[in-house]
Amino acid sequence: MKVSKKIILLGHFGVGKSSLIRQFVENSFTTDYKVTIGVHILKKEVQIAPNETISLIIWDLEGYDDIKKTRASYLLGTHGFIYVFDVTRPATFQNLEDDITYLTNQYANTPLKVVGNKADLVTKSYLKENKAIFGVTPDFFTSAKTGDNVADLFTTLAKELVK
Amino acid sequence: MLETYRGTYFHPRTQFITIDKTGKVIESDNILFPLKKGDEISSINPFFEGLASYFDSKEDNDIKFTCVHLESKKKQQHTCDIEFKTFANGQPSLVIIHDFSDHYEYYQEVAQSRNESVINSQILELQNKYLKEKEDFKNTFIANFSHELRNPLTGVTAFCSVLQKTDMSLEQQDYVEVIKSSGDHLKNMIGDILEMSKIEVGKLTIDEELFDFHKLIEMLAFTYTVKAKQKNIEFEVDFDDKIPKYIEGDKTRIKQVFENLLENAFKFTTTGKVTFTIKENQRRARKVNLNISVKDTGIGIPSEKLDIIFNSFTQLDVTQKYSGTGLGLSIVKGLVELMDGKITVESEENVGSIFKMNINFKYPINQENTSLENKLDIEYKNSLSKEKYNILLAEDSELAQMAVLKILSQEGHFYLDIISNGEDVIESVIHNEYDLILMDIRMPGTHGDELTKMIRSLPVQNCKTIPILALTANLYDDDKKRYKKMGMNDIIEKPFDETTLLSKIYKHLK
Repeated sequence: MKVSKKIILLGHFGVGKSSLIRQFVENSFTTDYKVTIGVHILKKEVQIAPNETISLIIWDLEGYDDIKKTRASYLLGTHGFIYVFDVTRPATFQNLEDDITYLTNQYANTPLKVVGNKADLVTKSYLKENKAIFGVTPDFFTSAKTGDNVADLFTTLAKELVK
Repeated sequence: MLETYRGTYFHPRTQFITIDKTGKVIESDNILFPLKKGDEISSINPFFEGLASYFDSKEDNDIKFTCVHLESKKKQQHTCDIEFKTFANGQPSLVIIHDFSDHYEYYQEVAQSRNESVINSQILELQNKYLKEKEDFKNTFIANFSHELRNPLTGVTAFCSVLQKTDMSLEQQDYVEVIKSSGDHLKNMIGDILEMSKIEVGKLTIDEELFDFHKLIEMLAFTYTVKAKQKNIEFEVDFDDKIPKYIEGDKTRIKQVFENLLENAFKFTTTGKVTFTIKENQRRARKVNLNISVKDTGIGIPSEKLDIIFNSFTQLDVTQKYSGTGLGLSIVKGLVELMDGKITVESEENVGSIFKMNINFKYPINQENTSLENKLDIEYKNSLSKEKYNILLAEDSELAQMAVLKILSQEGHFYLDIISNGEDVIESVIHNEYDLILMDIRMPGTHGDELTKMIRSLPVQNCKTIPILALTANLYDDDKKRYKKMGMNDIIEKPFDETTLLSKIYKHLK
């Protein structure tokens, strides 16, 4: 039987959660911003070893200013989290440290990846020099637009989910 | 009848499905999603795979999900609330799907508009912050850069004055005059740049002092009549004598505005006339409203360029025929607006331009009993009570040290101690009785304004009263206020010349 794992993307609105999923699942990107309300669920099979694939059930949640406002039922049975922020908008990472502390306290054994998205809009040196201002060192800097690090992010998390 | 209506108008939007312990459909009313017995419930949407761990639950569970996006096999989108119930008594689990697409579509529009507005305002805020940082960087750069230029320029202007007093051939005197004139020109340009940066960051304030307005106009009339003769053009001053003799305003800035406009008119007029008109418009309470204009018959301004003529660094002439920083008119506009006045321009290409200003000035009602204290530098010098004065120069620039030393040594009234490091100043003040201190601000160790504060608090007799004059190029209003607050008596602006330095020193010596 194929293994299925539920992962959830969290973060403020407009940080590019839906775009990351669309890039990963459909290899496409649009600059048109369409607000996500509630939850969209998509599925993608990911190869994690030469003869091993898993199904990622990816929950794309509506963005919130406050992570604690996330509807509790959405989080039931989650195997992994991806917390996304926008590297260009301080409002999306000013509470990053608190949000990550909250998640790691509430879901101590659930793998979590912290992602700074829209990395294509800033220079690499900006990211390097400003790592400290994010409050938490991100696991990945991604660009849903160019696809940079997107597959790597999901594959890395998928591998951790079956450990 | 009711049943007929119900049959016609009622469209049920809720689907009931029962499933077994493996997630396979037992029964479904197929209102929204067509399912057959034995189908996997997750065939509707991977959403149900997330519930798999509850399919064989032996407890009572009632889990509710709101606003879940599902797609039918006909690719129709449904936004639904979903209830999932399991039962402890072994009954099959129940899935209830309520389709609230219409309701959520409206919510989507509201959320879209709200989020876009928040994101746009955040982006705008960031852009403003970025622009402000850029502007601050520019202004700090200008302030620092002009400061660094002023020290070497002090050397040039001060030593030109000293050199002019030495024995030189006529040819050599001409060369020195050229150096002095170039130095003055450079000093003015640096001044313009610094002035503009002060206006742009709001750090320039307008002082109000009583001064003789008629005398100012007379002085300008004299200066520019001479200039007009040299240039072989006409210059006319149309001055309304009814204007109060004494008015309250920032004499230096008013003079600067008039000079900038006149310089501008002279620069672009090669034949014809420049007219400087100052008319009283009206008086109300203690205020007089003046209409002032500078008209020329110069090259004029193309109509499409009139809007940008007051912008910083704008020079319409791209041939480099007319020199300048392109800041003169923007400084004028900035200063006139700081005085709550207005300036406009009318112009016709190859005919000429007229710059019109309207400014209010306060004036004392009783003009006849008004007089100005105007003690000349020479009077200060004549009232000196001692033959020799001890002066301390705290200054790290060797060029500035040499300039002060040379200027003071020519006077024969001074003993001069020079200290290059801020940290040594206090000790020297304690062990020597100085009559006056010339204090550079940016010195290694401790800055001059901090040192002044320390000196003022020393338990040594004359430390509270000894005149301390700042030697500095940092002349923002905030700086000036700080120097005063720290206990400095006056400021000598870098680059200084012999006359400025001596007049300030004599003024403060008793």
